[in-house]
Amino acid sequence: MSWLTGIMLVVAAGAGVLVVLSRDPKRQLFALFANGLVLSLLFFVLQAPDVALSEIVVGAVVVPLLFLVALAAIAVAKVRE
Amino acid sequence: MRARWRAAGLAVSTVALLPAAWSVIVAMPSFGEHVSPYGAAVNAVVPAARHVSNMVAAVNFDLRGLDTLGEESMLLCAVTGTVVLLRGARGEETSGSAIRLPGRAIAQRSDATILICRFAATLLFFFGVYVALHGLVTPGGGFQGGVVIASALLLLYLGEGYAHWRSIVRGRVLSVLEGAGALLFVLVGLIPLAFGKAAFQNILPLGTFRDLYAGGTMVVVNAAVACAVAGGFTLILLEFMEETRAPETETEPGEGG
Repeated sequence: MSWLTGIMLVVAAGAGVLVVLSRDPKRQLFALFANGLVLSLLFFVLQAPDVALSEIVVGAVVVPLLFLVALAAIAVAKVRE
Repeated sequence: MRARWRAAGLAVSTVALLPAAWSVIVAMPSFGEHVSPYGAAVNAVVPAARHVSNMVAAVNFDLRGLDTLGEESMLLCAVTGTVVLLRGARGEETSGSAIRLPGRAIAQRSDATILICRFAATLLFFFGVYVALHGLVTPGGGFQGGVVIASALLLLYLGEGYAHWRSIVRGRVLSVLEGAGALLFVLVGLIPLAFGKAAFQNILPLGTFRDLYAGGTMVVVNAAVACAVAGGFTLILLEFMEETRAPETETEPGEGG
């Protein structure tokens, strides 16, 4: 295991903990985005560039965006009530 | 359940499961060790048998093509379900603008943002096409290229804004892409049967090793997956973005929405 893999594993664990510890949904979203980014870097370091490409789009763009849209819809619906 | 009871439950289950977890951990192969005989066999056989250099694509699109067809159908079902669920509650019409929180000012996009988004989205789009095209030669493939194309189309939203984005990205085109990709995949599986071969048998000429168009039916399947994934993912993104569009007729204050 190279030092780069070690660093990435520690950062990935840290990013995962950040997602769990952030309680505000908006902040949690950005933690989730950071987690997806870190995971895709980890896949890249582990020599799986094809998995990294899927992860960076699905984990760092699509999933946070779906939550972002849901939060926006909830916020507007609350004000309208 | 109170927090104290939950903590006690966690402690008890940790102590109970620790021996089992430990026996698994010590029996695991060491980090980075290759233990897959299937992987070694694929690496040894496939370059000569299928003339492609990306073994992952060869396994996905040819050796285990049936499994990928199952995943493809799952994607199709998931996209169809999402679209039916969201459109059923909302209707199909579009409107001129996205919703906004009442009382919040909207900052105009600067020209720089629009310009950068157009450049970056174009580059990203062609990068996705590149990744999909070279799927049989280098790491990547139809799925990866498809999701990169979908994210490029999403990036346009940032620069163009809701109304313009909606006029560029057409839901009907996307659903045709998704459906046609899945259909093409099924046809590649079924057509060999008409010639008395096995389903998913590679009946096209294989081409020269490492050529962009080497791999026989894998080239077609790769293109089909790229179309289906690009169409399907963009359609999901589109339907979710539609959740944030303003209603066509603004309801009067106090009337409720």
